[in-house]
Amino acid sequence: MAGVLLSEAEKTFILHGVQSDLRNDGRSKQDYRPMELELDIVTHANGSARVRLANTDILVGVKTEIDVPKPEKPDEGKIEFFVDCSANATPEFEGKGGEDLATEISNFLSTSFNSGLSFDLKSLCILKEIQCWKLYVDILILECGGNLFDAVSLAVKAALHNTMVPRVETMAMDGGNVDLQLSGDPYDCWRLDIKNVPCLVTLTKIGEHLIVDPTAEEENCSMASLVLAVTEDGRINSLSKTSVGSFHPHTLTEGLKVGTEVGIRLNKALKEALEKEEKRLQADKPERSGFLK
Amino acid sequence: MPVDNRRIQGPEVSFPYCLFQQSDGRNKTNSNPSNLLTVRKDGRALLDHRKIYMKTGVVSQAKGSAYVELSNTKVICSVFDPREIPNRVEYSQHGELYCVLKYAPFSCKTRRAHQQDSEEKELSLNLKRALEPAVCRHEFPNFQVDIYVLVLENDGGCLAAAITCAGLALADAHVPMYDLVTAASLGVTGDTMVMDPIEEEERLCSQDVKEGQNHGLVTVALMGAHTQITQVWQTGSMTSTCVSDALSRLIQLCEETYPIAQRCLVKSVVNTISKKSTS
Repeated sequence: MAGVLLSEAEKTFILHGVQSDLRNDGRSKQDYRPMELELDIVTHANGSARVRLANTDILVGVKTEIDVPKPEKPDEGKIEFFVDCSANATPEFEGKGGEDLATEISNFLSTSFNSGLSFDLKSLCILKEIQCWKLYVDILILECGGNLFDAVSLAVKAALHNTMVPRVETMAMDGGNVDLQLSGDPYDCWRLDIKNVPCLVTLTKIGEHLIVDPTAEEENCSMASLVLAVTEDGRINSLSKTSVGSFHPHTLTEGLKVGTEVGIRLNKALKEALEKEEKRLQADKPERSGFLK
Repeated sequence: MPVDNRRIQGPEVSFPYCLFQQSDGRNKTNSNPSNLLTVRKDGRALLDHRKIYMKTGVVSQAKGSAYVELSNTKVICSVFDPREIPNRVEYSQHGELYCVLKYAPFSCKTRRAHQQDSEEKELSLNLKRALEPAVCRHEFPNFQVDIYVLVLENDGGCLAAAITCAGLALADAHVPMYDLVTAASLGVTGDTMVMDPIEEEERLCSQDVKEGQNHGLVTVALMGAHTQITQVWQTGSMTSTCVSDALSRLIQLCEETYPIAQRCLVKSVVNTISKKSTS
């Protein structure tokens, strides 16, 4: 990826490291780099999260708006992903440079959210055929240190967990128009169910081995990677090959196995981190005052 | 989004009428998965694929072209001479493939717009990823080969047909390649696997099922002689065993299609030679 130049000798060094299951930074093949997670850091978004995976920095904000449901899916809400590869991350993204990567990530995310088993869009419906919630998931890539897919998906899942959708108190039909009354209390919201939302796991092939969480240097010496969307209970919601290269069927089936295991672990770790962060936020929350409470 | 005013636009907001149609008896049989199990619309067994027709050299002005037909799925592809990569300053060691997949406006049940939508962009990217490993890209550094695929009629398995078709067209255009690429698709709903699904079956497979069950679509592209999977694309939700099962079935089907594609190319070579010798 971005702006890393490696000589043949350096590539061979990384390759030999992977072969003996000891990577440059001391990890084994299936280890992730340290991650940091922060929730609720953007005041104007309904939900937000920031994930830092070593040098990769992702900021996600979720905004909810009201929209008309699609005619072919009258009882479902909408969710849309926008990825912005800003030139802050690397000069290569300047202008239209990051566009291809951005569409690839956002398309992959929407494919993995497509199944009703992964994310329940029906809960976002307000009034069948007339009104629904639309979630805008905006993803900002602040720094790019390899393994964008995984970091983005973690941040998206965390931000969706953090999203507060206002509660609709009353609905009235006035002629053809809908009159919605939202709750006046800013804390009177409901949370999205993110239990089955998948995390993406990228498996990068270096030599004959598959590794998880590649650094930018490792991505540079690999020809092919595989991205899997894995849910908490180990189901695969989407699978695709990214970058040039190809796979032998054996490598692919092995990748499926490894990817599912890693994905389950990743989901579990994220869940724990979310609970911890939630507790911290709860402790910091300003006390509510007001004469009716 | 910019709109091309010279084209005849439909009304700004219009819906396909089939949304409001009461599903008649024929549709009902297929909206119920248990009925699909027993009889497929075209009388195939569940793991049978459709008949495939391939032809190269269908567009005279393109460098290479091909046409692939999977009964009602009809795809045409043309490949043009390498040209310098536009708007690129630095030198790239490998040549690039520029793939565009487009549905004809009348190819699907609902009308498609003239401009590429996000689904078409995604399919184009998948097409590019499927072809890249097969092309000797170091042979034309700093150049790009344009590959345009047009879906004339969509009845399921579009991406698979497009990949096979583009592989043939590349070979027909004398672009140096390591191997031919063939592709196949498969649908899963519940415990049932449907090989080479038609559009209705595809829709059924992407519909939701009960929690804990499998559903979705898998497409695989394979280089037959090297047994290398150049692209795999799965949607829906399924267990990893189900995915690997689907993979092995698809690989088998791709291997079956491979000699047909080879024969098609041999035929076009023989035709050219015999034409030259008579003239």
